[in-house]
Amino acid sequence: MEEFSFANQLFQYLITGLTVGSVYAMVAIGFNIIYNVTEIINLAQGEFVMLGGLIMVFLHAVAGLPLILAFPITVILVTLVGMLLDRLAIRPIRQPSVLTLIIATIAASIIIKGTAMFIWGKDPFDLPAFSGRTPINFLGAVIQPQYFWVIGFLIVTVILLTLFFEKTIIGKAMSACADNPDAASLMGINVKWMILLSFSLSAAIGAVAGITVTPISLMEYDRGAMLAIKGFGAVVLGGLGSFPGAILGGLILGTIESFGAGLISSGYKDAFALIVLLAVLFFRPSGLLGSVEISKIKRF
Amino acid sequence: MLKIENLKAFYDSIPALKGVSIEVPQGKVVSIIGANGAGKSTLLKSISGLMKSKEGGILYKDQDISALPANKIVSLGISQVPEGRQIFGHLSVQDNINLGAYLYFKRRNRSEIEKRTERVYRLFPILKKRTKQVAGTLSGGEQQMLAIARALMGRPELILLDEPSMGLAPLIVREIFSVINQLNQTGTTILLVEQNAKAALNVAHHAFVLETGEIVLEGLAGELLDNPKVKEAYLGG
Ligand SMILES: Nc1ncnc2c1ncn2[C@@H]1O[C@H](COP(=O)(O)OP(=O)(O)OP(=O)(O)O)[C@@H](O)[C@H]1O
Ligand SMILES: [Mg+2]
Repeated sequence: MEEFSFANQLFQYLITGLTVGSVYAMVAIGFNIIYNVTEIINLAQGEFVMLGGLIMVFLHAVAGLPLILAFPITVILVTLVGMLLDRLAIRPIRQPSVLTLIIATIAASIIIKGTAMFIWGKDPFDLPAFSGRTPINFLGAVIQPQYFWVIGFLIVTVILLTLFFEKTIIGKAMSACADNPDAASLMGINVKWMILLSFSLSAAIGAVAGITVTPISLMEYDRGAMLAIKGFGAVVLGGLGSFPGAILGGLILGTIESFGAGLISSGYKDAFALIVLLAVLFFRPSGLLGSVEISKIKRF
Repeated sequence: MLKIENLKAFYDSIPALKGVSIEVPQGKVVSIIGANGAGKSTLLKSISGLMKSKEGGILYKDQDISALPANKIVSLGISQVPEGRQIFGHLSVQDNINLGAYLYFKRRNRSEIEKRTERVYRLFPILKKRTKQVAGTLSGGEQQMLAIARALMGRPELILLDEPSMGLAPLIVREIFSVINQLNQTGTTILLVEQNAKAALNVAHHAFVLETGEIVLEGLAGELLDNPKVKEAYLGG
């Protein structure tokens, strides 16, 4: 037991923190995609993660679909929920102010949560880990393989989104809508369609986060709200609208929680994150990467 | 080419246009002059589809376009260069130009897009030196050029220009108006809104004077230049 040194212990906390942080980062990216196109903070963002986890449990663990099929089907189903959210809760509002739209997302999140409770009940569900649960010895720390899946999917998501926003005309058109929706429609861009796309994209990313984290932390119907709060914390920490900020914010938040829980007390882990968040807001109200310049110009 | 009949437009229920009728013949430059708040921008926004609460007919090539959304209207060949440039400030110059071609931005149209890009860079050589620059950091004159260039990428047959000379130095104004002239000579129809009445009348064939939402005067541009009322109100006596 002596060989399991303090340094190894710290490394273990770091990996755990980065894993949890990856989930926060994905939620934060989802927030930013919608915010950048519409200026709405979609408070139903956490529900996408919850749905991703629970639908995956149903398809894979209950219905027995193989992972390789259940994964994309889950993402598609959650994406459809994102589309419905836009079509049923956002678009019908006649004279939208950002505030009414945000309230609409809260209402939607309550409905989604209620529906999930109706379908799955209140118990948490487990999902088989993608490549088993035999821990790996990695630089002295003992790590569940699933951790690497979570971090890996964050990296893949970031790369794909970067390519999308930097290299495709649709990605550019989405940025243009964020910049100036009227001018965008003068280019022939269908702004409503872009808003729909932003909801679909962030729902898909939320689903990926939920699917990959459920084997580690289980999933139940009311997890969404806490994830949304943490993800939003990551957004504020990194700077609203900034994708690099979302990633940085999520990873920092996750790491602080993990170290706080490990070194001080796990009971206060949510408090540590909030304290750091408040401190950052006090000293840098625009967030770490949130200067207007960086947050808007450097999409990734 | 464009025929507007008894157009009324409202902000909430306050009228900004009170029954405007104008015609823009194919291949011509038509100018609309008027003071601040006369309703010039409202008129252009009504045509391009940005302004939605309106009544009356807007016929483009005999098709009523008054109920279409802005993104459909541009696909018919009407491009608006909005007041105050409205470029995408956080994107690069090249991205702005590419977005101008959004509607047909596909691999199979690559040679057309390249040809049109070359053409707008020939019209505005300064932009070609700044393709990678973030558009929001361009000077006012360069931004105006970019706004025009972006609109030209959209295969327009009719261009709506809203105060292209606003806030620009005389030399740049002359450059912009020379481009307007060139565009017209290569067959593009132009509807120009201006407070710089002299420049606007010089480049136009036909002109209208708009005052508080109503057309009060119209005629050949040359005639309006000599009209005593126009001279007094818009040409500084
Ligand atoms: N978004 C708006 N909401 C309410 N009223 C508006 C709005 N936009 C314009 N108006 C009003 O409509 C009238 C016409 O405005 P418009 O912008 O068309 O004038 P303009 O001729 O383009 O003026 P300028 O030369 O200053 O650009 C003005 O009285 C203006 O106050
Ligand atoms: Mg105006």
